Amino acid sequence: MKKIGIIANPASGKDIRRLVSHATVVDNNEKINIVKRIILASQGTGVEEIYIMPDTFLIGHKAIEDLTLSKELKVSVNILKMDVHGTLADTIRAAKLMEDIGVDVIVVLGGDGTLRAVAKGNSKVPIIGISTGTNNVYPKMIEGTVAGMAASVIAMNMCDKNNTCIKDKRIEIYKNSNLLDIALVDCVISRQTFVGSKAIWDEQDIVKVIVTNAHPAAIGFSTIVGVRKIITDADDFGASVNLNVGDDYYVAPIAAGTMKLIRIDEPEILKIGEGYKIEFNFNGVMALDGERELIFKSGEIYEVKITRNGPIRVDVMKTIESAQEIGFFKSK
Amino acid sequence: MDLNNNKIIEMYTTMKKIREFENNASKLFAEGQIHGFVHLYIGEEAVATGVCANLREDDYITSTHRGHGHIIAKGGDVKYMMAELYGRETGYCKGKGGSMHIADATRGILGANGIVGAGQNIATGAGLSAKLRGTDQVCACFFGDGSTNQGTFHESLNLASIWRLPVIFVCENNLYGISMHQSRHQAIQDIADRAVAYNIPGVVVDGNDIFAVYEAAKEAIERARNGQGPSLIECKTYRHHGHFEGDPAKYKPAEEVAEWMSKDPIPRLINYMIDNNILSKEELTEIDNTISKEIKEAIKFAEESPWPPIESVVEDIYTDIVEEVRK
Repeated sequence: MKKIGIIANPASGKDIRRLVSHATVVDNNEKINIVKRIILASQGTGVEEIYIMPDTFLIGHKAIEDLTLSKELKVSVNILKMDVHGTLADTIRAAKLMEDIGVDVIVVLGGDGTLRAVAKGNSKVPIIGISTGTNNVYPKMIEGTVAGMAASVIAMNMCDKNNTCIKDKRIEIYKNSNLLDIALVDCVISRQTFVGSKAIWDEQDIVKVIVTNAHPAAIGFSTIVGVRKIITDADDFGASVNLNVGDDYYVAPIAAGTMKLIRIDEPEILKIGEGYKIEFNFNGVMALDGERELIFKSGEIYEVKITRNGPIRVDVMKTIESAQEIGFFKSK
Repeated sequence: MDLNNNKIIEMYTTMKKIREFENNASKLFAEGQIHGFVHLYIGEEAVATGVCANLREDDYITSTHRGHGHIIAKGGDVKYMMAELYGRETGYCKGKGGSMHIADATRGILGANGIVGAGQNIATGAGLSAKLRGTDQVCACFFGDGSTNQGTFHESLNLASIWRLPVIFVCENNLYGISMHQSRHQAIQDIADRAVAYNIPGVVVDGNDIFAVYEAAKEAIERARNGQGPSLIECKTYRHHGHFEGDPAKYKPAEEVAEWMSKDPIPRLINYMIDNNILSKEELTEIDNTISKEIKEAIKFAEESPWPPIESVVEDIYTDIVEEVRK
């Protein structure tokens, strides 16, 4: 059986950045539409079984109901049997269950934070991220139909995954040698002492930014490194930069439509697998992939490490092109 | 973000005062001291507090049938509130309005409101007034999830948007419109989604986290004061009691109640303050004792206040014109 999983986060794309920047709004009914398009595209290209994460808005149930009423649903679609709490823990749990079921690929609707949660629950199954969040570096703005086709190609094994999938980097955060948490794109260290509205947007409080990848066009805090140094997913290193030190000012797009003048020093290269100690002399919070998560206290010592333990990411265009070359779209 | 320890302690004091007032109102209602309907705000204190902590005294608020928290957070006097609940002459409405009609124009409190959604129009009018008078006052409009199906919600957002009025629409989504779960009366989960239809920003925040509410309200209020128009903030929260005192709330699943009780905004803030050495347990007890004393004094004030005289029954109800007609 060719199986795919779908995880759609009903909470993505609604945070405070709609007030402080001009961030995109994706309502939950559009997420249902995207899920329907993924189902239709994947069933039309050979997928036989689909598993969907249950959520508080019943995105999966509503997609099934609509496609049943329109008599378009041919494939077997199942909602995972699990408790729903309406938190990121649901996503982590669903990703783990999908890995256990043996799905061939997981399509994820959300932002960087959602993809981070999927990566926490699964490290073996390739993922396709569709951006329905805010400042998205990791998931891309791709049409659900295209994502569904790419998922189908992976499930049907109609491409060379060595060429079309990338084993990503991640930032690992340790305290006393215990892995506390991870980030896929960036870890931002801020002097704010509470989690509050979770999203981080105020650069005034930021002390340091640590990244796996950096590019000026990847909207968000990783651009603070990206405007000085581009780091691709192929590079076997990440970097960190300190804010409000040095003499050089750079303009960086830290949020959608938000260009800020920021004083930064020369990025420090962080080699894969090497631990870097951070000793704090202030209370603050670490934001992981844009969300304030880890509160720390003055005097505490943490270690950050860039590794290749991140998720397996599907390069959607390469995957589809590779499948086209070997006749994937030719009628049987 | 500018949020010092004094402000955090001030917000805790407000939240605790609301909780203490409501716990006493619940007890007094059960004892038969308070008559009529009482809808309590227990569990939702972070919303009113986090929003009003960003308002000035000359700013406005509009409230709902569940209004005690909003009025306390905007600086309402608990003595006159309690006297109103007791139906005494010293109350905010001279004892003739009760819980659902408390107003204090001197503090910009444009009234609790027994009609679901009716505060939204008043808030829009207050915003229009501020704009026409050329002031930088704003109006925070509190309402529940159930009211967002009313025409008033859509009319108000539409007008506030097209006229760029300084109104902050604050939805307290406590999951239930009376006893009906939101999923049974709306085809959306996030009321903030409705902001798109009116071309205003809509955000969702954890309404049980004082910092999340404070941050979002601060940004929305600044936006309104700067002439950029209205915003919609949806605060996900939960009322610990039934819709009204006496409602056993059997429609709420036990697991749901337990999950939300674990997210009670007051213990969350206490933990944060203790953890960050903002105040000691002794200082916390001192604040709690002061609040407890203030509420006790308010009850005593209410109990010792006179009933409204019988001849005042039609005062403040009919206009002079009607009075003439009656003659």
